[in-house]
Amino acid sequence: MTLQEKLESNQFVVCGEIAPPQSCDGNLIRDRSRHFKGHVDALNITDNQRAIVRLSSISSAKILLDEGIEPIIQMTCRDRNRLAIQSDLLGAAALGIRNVLCLTGDHQTFGDQPEAKGVFDLDSIQLIAAVATMNSGFLLSGFEMKKPPEFLIGAAANPFAEPFEMRLIRLHKKIAAGARFIQTQAVFDLGVFARWMERVVEMGLHEKAAILPGVMPVRSAKRLLWMREKLPGMRIPAEYFNRMSQARNPEEEGITMAVEMIRALKNMRGVRGIHIMPSLWESVTPTIVKEAGLHVAH
Amino acid sequence: MLLPNGQSSIRDASAKSRITPLLKHLVTLNRRPITVRERMLSHVLLFFEDVIKVPLFRCQRCGECILSSTAFICSQNCPKRLRNGPCGGTGEGGSCEVFPDRKCVWYRIYFRSRLLHRVSLLYKINSIHNWNLEKTSAWVNLFRGRIQGATLFLRNDTQRVKDIIADDAARKA
Repeated sequence: MTLQEKLESNQFVVCGEIAPPQSCDGNLIRDRSRHFKGHVDALNITDNQRAIVRLSSISSAKILLDEGIEPIIQMTCRDRNRLAIQSDLLGAAALGIRNVLCLTGDHQTFGDQPEAKGVFDLDSIQLIAAVATMNSGFLLSGFEMKKPPEFLIGAAANPFAEPFEMRLIRLHKKIAAGARFIQTQAVFDLGVFARWMERVVEMGLHEKAAILPGVMPVRSAKRLLWMREKLPGMRIPAEYFNRMSQARNPEEEGITMAVEMIRALKNMRGVRGIHIMPSLWESVTPTIVKEAGLHVAH
Repeated sequence: MLLPNGQSSIRDASAKSRITPLLKHLVTLNRRPITVRERMLSHVLLFFEDVIKVPLFRCQRCGECILSSTAFICSQNCPKRLRNGPCGGTGEGGSCEVFPDRKCVWYRIYFRSRLLHRVSLLYKINSIHNWNLEKTSAWVNLFRGRIQGATLFLRNDTQRVKDIIADDAARKA
């Protein structure tokens, strides 16, 4: 069963996420993805996340396909203009990739090559609409394709960035443009997320797109601090810090907190799955999936 | 069709290309070619446009003005030049992720829209920018039907927002 079929049949889905290496080592992707196999329905592959050059998302996705894992490629607007985006997407479709997550992309000044020119020819909402247009059989030039791609379009949402209402407007636009699943920024602040989710349900958006909140298991208090300072749009409550820094075994505490978070999210109205983002801690995925009682159908 | 450099576009030559209604709203196409005369007119008008728009709105001269739907704050001052709302990096208190000392442009747009009762305009998906229109007069482009006109007066904003959301819900059913 593909991710699309699972979403259409209203199954609770689990997604994972890996970052490709900063080298051409394809085996590293195979090693990292092994922790996810059989535990997640689909695996995100980041596209030069935080504006740092990495192995391409589409090539990594091909490696995952060969390994028997369903990939979700991320497509950002920072590095490509509309020509490159369409051509890369056609290439991805030809390789058998079916899922694409449309993002604007982190600004280039956050990366290791801040001197670069950011493209931003499209923004994420226009990208979603562009992929939807391609699905309908047309390129942005109006050229009718003989064989249109069939992408399942995903988008991201950050319920924690301000202004709160504008986030809902943007989500509305993304879903109107054609997004069918939404992966959110990692949830640490359950209160804010619950408030956001309530509004999403009120607007009826949860029926048109599957909302998959992000969960990020964290290894140490140091890592948590780094995330708060370096990742834009992260919101981590003080309570979380205290628990983590006082824990005797931070790794175990990190797992416990992630599992608690998943259980709370699972019971929330409108939540249709979980997106696990174990950045650089892939090996923890099976434990979390098992302890949280998430069942993955095959 | 004439491109700015006077060559004809390949789009006309291809019999297979068709501008679907979906595309028409998504991309600001080169339709109505930019003629040489129009460029000259654009130069003249741009002087007057700049006199007004640059000091008032810090206009970036994108040639495809959406000021009226962004509560009269130029969205093109965003480092990513986003036309459809803020990216996910807006910090606490609405700071820009790239220049933390600045306020996020879209943060300002949202609150100004609320103040002016123009929130319903934020629900519109703005089309993909045509870079050939960069540094041309938006007034000429509007007159030539390339870009949509401004919405100066708007009534019943709250009701409009409700209608947009309800409309969408109905479409699904």
